[in-house]
Amino acid sequence: MLDLALLDTLRSTLDADFPHLPSGLITATNQLQTYECDGLTNMRAIPGAVVLPRTTAQVQAIIRLCHQHRIPFVARGAGTGLSGGALPALGGIVISFARMNRILEIDIANQRVVVEPGVINSHVTDAVADHGYFYAPDPSSQSVCTIGGNVAENAGGAHCLKYGFTTTHVLALDVVLPNGDLVTFGSSAPDAPGYDLAGVFVGSEGTLGVATRITLRIVKRPETVQVLLAAFDSTTTAAQAVSDVIAAGMLPAALEMMDRLSAQASEAAVHPNYPVCEALLLIELDGPVAEVNTQMAEATSICKHNGAWEVRLAQTAQERGLIWKGRKAAFAAMGRISPNYIVQDGVIPRTALPVVLAAMTKMAAEVQLRVANVFHAGDGNLHPMVLYDQAIPGQEDIALDLSYRILHLCVDHGGSITGEHGVGKEKQQAMGYMFTEPDLDTMQLVRHAFDPHNLANPDKLFPRPRLCAEKPGPYTPHPLETAGVAEFF
Amino acid sequence: MPQTPQSLEALKLPHRLNPEGQPILAPHTTEQIAQITRHANANNLTLQICGAGTKVGWTSPLSADLQLDTTSLTGVQSHSWQDLTATVSAGTPWATMQQALSQHHQQVALDPLWPTRATVGGIIATNDSGTLRLKYGSLRDLIIGMTIVLADGTIAKSGGKVVKNVAGYDLHKLMTGAFGTLGIIADVTFRLHPIPSHTLALTITSPTSENLGKLLLTILNSQLSTQALQLRATPGSYALDIQLATLPQALTLQSATLEALAIHSGLTAPWQPAPANIFANRQHLLDQPNGTILKATMLPSAIAQASTEIVNSGGTAVTQATGIMSARFNSEFQTPSPALTALVKAAGNGSITLLRKPDRTPQPASTLAQTIKSKFDPNHILNPGHFPGGL
Repeated sequence: MLDLALLDTLRSTLDADFPHLPSGLITATNQLQTYECDGLTNMRAIPGAVVLPRTTAQVQAIIRLCHQHRIPFVARGAGTGLSGGALPALGGIVISFARMNRILEIDIANQRVVVEPGVINSHVTDAVADHGYFYAPDPSSQSVCTIGGNVAENAGGAHCLKYGFTTTHVLALDVVLPNGDLVTFGSSAPDAPGYDLAGVFVGSEGTLGVATRITLRIVKRPETVQVLLAAFDSTTTAAQAVSDVIAAGMLPAALEMMDRLSAQASEAAVHPNYPVCEALLLIELDGPVAEVNTQMAEATSICKHNGAWEVRLAQTAQERGLIWKGRKAAFAAMGRISPNYIVQDGVIPRTALPVVLAAMTKMAAEVQLRVANVFHAGDGNLHPMVLYDQAIPGQEDIALDLSYRILHLCVDHGGSITGEHGVGKEKQQAMGYMFTEPDLDTMQLVRHAFDPHNLANPDKLFPRPRLCAEKPGPYTPHPLETAGVAEFF
Repeated sequence: MPQTPQSLEALKLPHRLNPEGQPILAPHTTEQIAQITRHANANNLTLQICGAGTKVGWTSPLSADLQLDTTSLTGVQSHSWQDLTATVSAGTPWATMQQALSQHHQQVALDPLWPTRATVGGIIATNDSGTLRLKYGSLRDLIIGMTIVLADGTIAKSGGKVVKNVAGYDLHKLMTGAFGTLGIIADVTFRLHPIPSHTLALTITSPTSENLGKLLLTILNSQLSTQALQLRATPGSYALDIQLATLPQALTLQSATLEALAIHSGLTAPWQPAPANIFANRQHLLDQPNGTILKATMLPSAIAQASTEIVNSGGTAVTQATGIMSARFNSEFQTPSPALTALVKAAGNGSITLLRKPDRTPQPASTLAQTIKSKFDPNHILNPGHFPGGL
């Protein structure tokens, strides 16, 4: 618990300048429960307090207090993260950026936008769309997730093969360091002198400090966009079609693959009129009309050559929208075919896809579970969804174990444990599988330079030794908690 | 304490002798780099790390006890062309690497200075970039993994061999542009791009920079397939060079669009085929002996005015549409005019760096930068004095 004097100081820090606005401090238990988890709902912890600052000066004051009293703090945007990055430190402070959500500057001539961290991703595009621009990183949660959270996780999306990740689009950041100092990393002009700390900060999952002002690059909207849907009899032939598209020198805006289970689930959920097949390929090309027309004809013939038995070019914006709706609904649609599921986020070199999928099918069969797959085929980011039924005793543990073993499989084939969801709390142990101790020790040098007292989003990202008798896997409530007799603080 | 060939022999450290008979350490493997740094660190010997040495004059190094030459660490270790990735040893000359990758019509989409000599590691350590940055981004956007050797001999990897990967801190971004002061780059994995099948380079000239600056912004705001765009400034004459990269049928249409945009910007001269090698203009400017060379960075909207400012001060310049200017003055003692300094500062907090005559009294490095340096290299043995701010 945080002591009362400290809470008073926090309250006056947050509310003194804004006496007529709702308080920026939350301490009531029922309200704190709203913040006990993010998109990874099977891990929970109740914070000691939640603060909702309105200014950078307030963020600085809060973090100075945390530093002085050695209180851990966790920054939070919309809480949509899937790896527990915004999971509170037990009894610590959550800094919510819900009230720092202003777009501060728009400079179309120089293709820059300056935002506060609480701005919603798609609102950046909304603000510049009339000028023919968009903000390129497009995680599936883009209509609710915030730029601050995107910066912490180096968020990607379906279009990052061509347009790059969040890090490609962040030019400068004002950051409050874990000791409360306010510093600027990068600049709106290129090549700021000094180490590339903006590059290091983006994707550091809130462990190096808190960004309070972010300069973004926006991108000119392409002249035309075309989407092709192709149905294959196997993921191997679909993967070969993708390789041939790459070999032909095309850089598609998006290249997505869904297996039979995923396509079936999406069809049931949003009726995108997908053909029933083993592997569905979605190819999006954008750019000048003359270029896209020629390349789309070539992509179509490559698909047919590799055995696609149905090749369908979306004719209208509506058809295109529907195809994408089916793809973006894939995770949620799993509810149609399974009571429960775990979404994973491995990456493999695309050439390893057939062998990894075969191994995954075998592993799933061994434990009598099903795995559905959605694949960003262009960049190798695989989202296996392990389907299970929580009502069957023990099956959740088996499913979790399988999902972690799938990550190991990705690493064994030269890939990574996360392409866009981040390590967070969920995958901290898997970090020890992907990286050696010297790798992790070297990363810790950065951590210690920024945060010697381990206050910023502690106990995330890096593996930690398991305690004796500690059960692996997600948080399981104590029976007294389940019965409502006791609460976990 | 300089080392003798005999002492290096005794330590079994790989080395060769330079023309003056001084030993130069020349590791062939990552493990040998680690052996060298461990030895140097344990004995408090400073190390000067060098690739081909094309940009040695860009910093003001202190004299070091040992020279470490990376040019024996060569070769494209793997080129997974279907995955658009390649892993390359740090001492490989840039052009040698590109030659190997071009077998599959792929490239690391960056055009640095002196590519036939400059090494991959040296280009990364100085964060060089060229005209292609406008379309493909800087090294930060092209490097997906790296193996580094720390001062204490630790060999660490970050990133990986897949394009999309958010596991762990991006140590490779910390190494990019660090001038070898935090660790030694042993190998690097790049994401690759296809080499465009068709390009077209055009030039338009004007006696003033203003309308060219306007045209530059109009092109940035257009849907043209621009791969490179630069504004050249010489006394009495300015030119804008553009390179388009798309399919032939689109190139024809886009040339017509360019004509219309030029007229709209108030230009009377037509677009002409660009002079050969015009996008190597920055390198030609830096190749000239003597004089003062500076790098200035700014927002695109300030390029025209900054170009005029350089010409008014008696210099010549070439500025990429990304906002990176290279300028040259005949005088050895030219300092940036206060007007230029103020202009780039106001244009996105840009900065000016003297390349050939590095500032001996630079702004001190930030507290955080100093802390990072002391964590990575507590005895300050790696490239002492190389980094801006004296690290």
